[in-house]
Amino acid sequence: MSDSFHIKLDGKSVSASSGETVFEVAKREGVEIPTLCHDTRLEPVGACRVCLVEVAGQRRLQPGCAWVVTPDMEIQTQSDRIERHRKVLYNLYKSDHDLDDARLPLETGNGNQLRELCQTVPDMNLAPVEAPRSDRPMDDNPYIQFEPDLCILCARCTRYCDEVEAVNAITLSNRGSATTIATAGQRSLIDTTCELCGGCIDTCPTGALIEKKAPKNLVQLGGTESVRSTCNFCGVGCQLNLHVQNERVVKVTSPEPGETLNDGNLCVKGRFAYDFIHHKDRITEPLIRDANGDLQPATWEEAIAATSAGLNRVREKYGSDALGFISSSRCTGEENYLMQKVARAAFGTNNVHQCAAT
Amino acid sequence: MTNSIDEIRDSEMMFVIGSNTTEAHPIIAMEMKRARQRGAKLVVADPRKIWLAEMADLHLQLKPGTDVWLLSAMAHVIIEEDLHDKAFIAKHTTDFESVAQKVKSYSPEAAEEITGVPAEDIRTAARWYASTKAAGIYYTLGITEHTHGTDNVYCLANLVLMTGHLGVRSAGMNPLRGQNNVQGANDAGATPIYYPGYQKVVDPSIREIFESAWGVSLSPNNGINLNEMMKEMARGNLKAVYVMGEDIVISEPNVTKVEVGLNACEFVVCQEIFHNETTRFADVILPGACFAEKDGIFTNSDRRVQRVRKAVDPPGNARPDWEILCDIARASGYDMPDYPSSKEVFAEFASLTPQLRGMSYDRLEANVKGLHWPCPDEDHPGTPTLHLDGPIIGVAPFQAVDYRPSDELPDNDYPLVLSTGRTLYHYNSATQTRRDAGPVAKQRGNFIEIHRRDAKILGIAHGDKVEVSSRRGTIQAEAWVSPRVRFGCIWMPMHFAENRANLLTNDAGDAITGTGEYKVCAVRVRRSKQATEALAEVASG
Amino acid sequence: MQKPDAQREKILDLLEHAGGVTEESVRQVSEDTGVPEADIWGTGKFYSLIDTPGKRTRVCDGLSCQLAGADELAASITDSGKACERVSCLGQCDLAIATLTEEMELKTYTKKETSITPDDPELAINLAGPVDLSYSALKKSISMGAEAVIKEIEVSGLQGRGGAGFPAHIKWKALRSQNETERYVICNADEAEPGTFKDRETILRQPHKMLEGLAIAAAMIETSEIYIYIRGEYGNEYDSINRAIEEAQTQLAQFNFTVVRGHGAYICGEETALLESLEGKRGMPRLKPPFPTEAGFRGKPSLIHNVETIACVPSIIHRGGQHFKDLGRTEAGSKLYCISGHIESPGVYELPLGVTLDELVEAAGGYTGTPLAFSPGGASSGFLPISMRALPLDYKNLAEAGSMMGSSGVVVLNDTVDMAQAAGWQLEFFERESCGQCAPCRIGSRYLRRQNDAYLKLGDPIAFEHADDVAWEMEEGSICGLGMVAAKPLDSARKHFPDHFKTK
Repeated sequence: MSDSFHIKLDGKSVSASSGETVFEVAKREGVEIPTLCHDTRLEPVGACRVCLVEVAGQRRLQPGCAWVVTPDMEIQTQSDRIERHRKVLYNLYKSDHDLDDARLPLETGNGNQLRELCQTVPDMNLAPVEAPRSDRPMDDNPYIQFEPDLCILCARCTRYCDEVEAVNAITLSNRGSATTIATAGQRSLIDTTCELCGGCIDTCPTGALIEKKAPKNLVQLGGTESVRSTCNFCGVGCQLNLHVQNERVVKVTSPEPGETLNDGNLCVKGRFAYDFIHHKDRITEPLIRDANGDLQPATWEEAIAATSAGLNRVREKYGSDALGFISSSRCTGEENYLMQKVARAAFGTNNVHQCAAT
Repeated sequence: MTNSIDEIRDSEMMFVIGSNTTEAHPIIAMEMKRARQRGAKLVVADPRKIWLAEMADLHLQLKPGTDVWLLSAMAHVIIEEDLHDKAFIAKHTTDFESVAQKVKSYSPEAAEEITGVPAEDIRTAARWYASTKAAGIYYTLGITEHTHGTDNVYCLANLVLMTGHLGVRSAGMNPLRGQNNVQGANDAGATPIYYPGYQKVVDPSIREIFESAWGVSLSPNNGINLNEMMKEMARGNLKAVYVMGEDIVISEPNVTKVEVGLNACEFVVCQEIFHNETTRFADVILPGACFAEKDGIFTNSDRRVQRVRKAVDPPGNARPDWEILCDIARASGYDMPDYPSSKEVFAEFASLTPQLRGMSYDRLEANVKGLHWPCPDEDHPGTPTLHLDGPIIGVAPFQAVDYRPSDELPDNDYPLVLSTGRTLYHYNSATQTRRDAGPVAKQRGNFIEIHRRDAKILGIAHGDKVEVSSRRGTIQAEAWVSPRVRFGCIWMPMHFAENRANLLTNDAGDAITGTGEYKVCAVRVRRSKQATEALAEVASG
Repeated sequence: MQKPDAQREKILDLLEHAGGVTEESVRQVSEDTGVPEADIWGTGKFYSLIDTPGKRTRVCDGLSCQLAGADELAASITDSGKACERVSCLGQCDLAIATLTEEMELKTYTKKETSITPDDPELAINLAGPVDLSYSALKKSISMGAEAVIKEIEVSGLQGRGGAGFPAHIKWKALRSQNETERYVICNADEAEPGTFKDRETILRQPHKMLEGLAIAAAMIETSEIYIYIRGEYGNEYDSINRAIEEAQTQLAQFNFTVVRGHGAYICGEETALLESLEGKRGMPRLKPPFPTEAGFRGKPSLIHNVETIACVPSIIHRGGQHFKDLGRTEAGSKLYCISGHIESPGVYELPLGVTLDELVEAAGGYTGTPLAFSPGGASSGFLPISMRALPLDYKNLAEAGSMMGSSGVVVLNDTVDMAQAAGWQLEFFERESCGQCAPCRIGSRYLRRQNDAYLKLGDPIAFEHADDVAWEMEEGSICGLGMVAAKPLDSARKHFPDHFKTK
């Protein structure tokens, strides 16, 4: 289906296939073309203009994320022209962005790729443009916060909401410098078609979308220890990164798009429903019901002994098949293996099952 | 799933039946959306106008419980119009004639009478499915949670086989598993008739293997399934239960009977992370660890084994469940090995399970996308797509099926059909999701979806509190007048402990799997008695 | 993601019908069309005629209206306690000052009438000429066949008269080479370049030339589907088109005309933004390639022409391509020049392509006051000093002078004008009309306007310290033509009138 041919990338002959973009070829070749609005899960729009390259024969600079290569095409990703372009462009972004004392784009707990880019060019000290960009002060949804002054309007969030999550809860609204990210009627996300998947946060390159629950200074604290695991809700098997700070899971993200089956995506449960882990209602010690029918705390030795005694009593009285072992499709494979082994090997019954159908 | 999740995006056609994928499997639904965006056709068969149905090229809004009619009529069209794959049938299947004969009487016109789906739509769906190469069937509990669940599955399998959609990329027969490790739990032998790897307990040669591996003699008899356990408990024959990580008093059908059974038990032990409805009956409660607090594997819907890794310690004195199980076994006199970690448990499990034999923690570490079973040896790359070289069992038999109505149909006293299911925002008994602000903000408590005409007859307005009753119980819910449900049908989520949908549902089970009929039971809804009678009149007239 | 049966193309009209964007109207339109609420909200909020409900008088702040005192008029309306909004050029520069009343009817504040070139049958458009309902050029072109017709277009040298000057025949050929048979002809009647009102006059006086040209194009590219996208502020012109379609229904029986009204966005004159708008979306230009000739309206091959371009076609068919070509002087054809500002008789003059400013002004009765500068082709063309009065007003010469032919909306400014102020008006226009999609244009146009404001206020040229860099980046980095030219007014004014930008 895809023909292979050669193109020239920064003077070097490299192979490419039909349908590929400059960005894709360059990435494979280890040539880094910066970008803010590109996400492999979305149709390229070339809106952020960061990835502009020189294409031989084209009068104008062209977006590498969207420009499809053809045989013998010559591409320059570095030149004085591109350097000047990046310098002024990044500085324009800065003039439309909240800056810190070092005059660099402010960084939230969700990082800011623009900040990294701006460190590669000199500061022109452009006066702030004070764009009249509205936010949603009344949005009381518990998870997703929008900071308009950190938004670069790359529309990754709205495109994600449309093309990937397909709920169309948020939109580009208004026009020109007043353009902003809005909901219908500027309502709270809770009162829209939003399914709180948080994919908008995940795709936002500048930290203008922030997870309300996560520590605000996650990045500044040097990030977190992150543990790769598998989601414990439905049967899809999404991969998660559990971010741990002070012995607590404080944030859940997906591995990068392309790495795992969930391709960077998570749903509301996988991304946000982690409060249960450290919830005060967790059972923290073994409990044994006393003669009055009340549950009393016990040591593990007592609880194990009581369990073993209770099961063996019934087994001795009525036989092994008077026992039932209900395992769990929520627990691990090893635990299910052990549960059936316990039932069969320790108690002599095949009465072991789990909620197979639900 | 015969095919992997990664293949969905390249589908040319998706036939989704009895699966509210966007809510129950959101990330698989994203892949379906991507396929649709890329031009794939989407046909959704569901009694409700679920989100996917709104996006579908064709929505077959069948009456609950009439799947056999719908699917047989599709088979009828495929054979009648000579769209079946004769070469595949000849090479890879048996008993095609029995099905061809059987479905002759299932004409689309007759099916329209029973299912409520226009005959022409049935024909279109059948033609699209039969004439598209990369056409996959995706189903969930809307297919299986019936007394004729197995028949439904046979009907789907017949469609797959007669069109040769087996062993084809982005096609196949794909049940989407409801929970993180349904597949893994079954693979591990947590089932009354199989040892790990679907090896029959009644097969002496298999039993020998396990007796030698475990160093004990084992019962030669099949055990009883969960549905039967619940019933035997109520009958007083099952005297003790050890329940790990399941809230059976919420999740089993007709839970009143389950409660009776638990009260009758002499000993109940629960291993849990939260107190729930079932722990109320426990004599001993053992605090387990949640997924973030232990190591192990989950096996997802597409048979992909992936690692679960410990990120934090369990709270207080809680312990990983696998350690607790080992202690119980030892305390009960069984010489359980002293596994240093879950890695060694997995090694033993894999060594006894032909499908997993080639897997190890080291290999799972190296394969970030996981490994699909079967993976018979260490050099095997895993099997994302099954049956690529023809059916694994050699030749696949067709299964002729007769339509049987659901166990409990609406009548004058209980004139509405209730189906239950999951929502996006909550999970099972919701002990986890109701402890998070977002799901609670979206769905605070129990509700029903009801058609506006039913609501009007019953004098119910959107947001009204209503009482829903079946022959087995009565609960409260908020009425959501919704364009999603059919006239005469209501729908309710299963998640809310204070108003358990499963007080209403019918525990009549499928003859083979024992799965309860969660999708069809007869109920009445009322604000007042008169309104109910009015509806009954309309339903019978 | 859109539902298969969603009716997105309808949403803007429905919103307008509902009185503009409100939570209620958006909910209703969503129910009626199946388009998600947020998409309707975001789309409606893009268009200035529907973004905010409520009655108000709209006062034009185009260059010619500003020269005629639009600021004072607006102030007096506000002082009288009525709601007043400043809006971008209403295309009535010859009748300045222009307003839209609370009832959205045009009201102008001038005693003069528009001047046009007297009847001359030689001219391609001949605004003052008799109306020809015979549609004989259509019949002739059908009998000639597509190849012969396109050959004549090629010989005629007809260039796109919306501003880009792209050779028309190449587009026609491109359409015919597409495999896809679902094709569209689209007429760009979204005339909104400040200083420009030629399409207005063509539609009012010679609508059949436009319709016939469109029909010929449709017949040649083998489609019957013709869309005319006209700016929402043009009420009389919308009526004129519909009347003409009615009048010629027999002659045009084989074509389906759909006339679509814009809702207040200059950028929709950019052809891909126009397509987005036709599809019921925010008018944000698309990346090119693909060009509309491959993937245009609804993703199908589309032939898009400006009103004037397409209205030249019947004449070319009647008298041959060479005849048309010979009507021009430095380039092909006769050309509709709009002229307004500090001259005697503003109006539309059809003259040989390549006349000088002096010749054009002579046709328009002469200068008023001492001329200082002129803007040869709308706001996008920036300013040129009067010393360039002998320059042929054509595509090539103006481009070489760092300006552009554009839509040939010529505005003359005399020496009463402060060029920094004039540049400021134009900068304000571009800032308001930037779609906001790409940063160079969105941020750059606002940055330059604010810096110019700062200069006007403080008189310190330090305000322009980075103006060249920003202007350069806007031209280099923007997605579409708007961003590329938005810095032009300031850039050219600073270059040609340095005295106007000194320390004060």
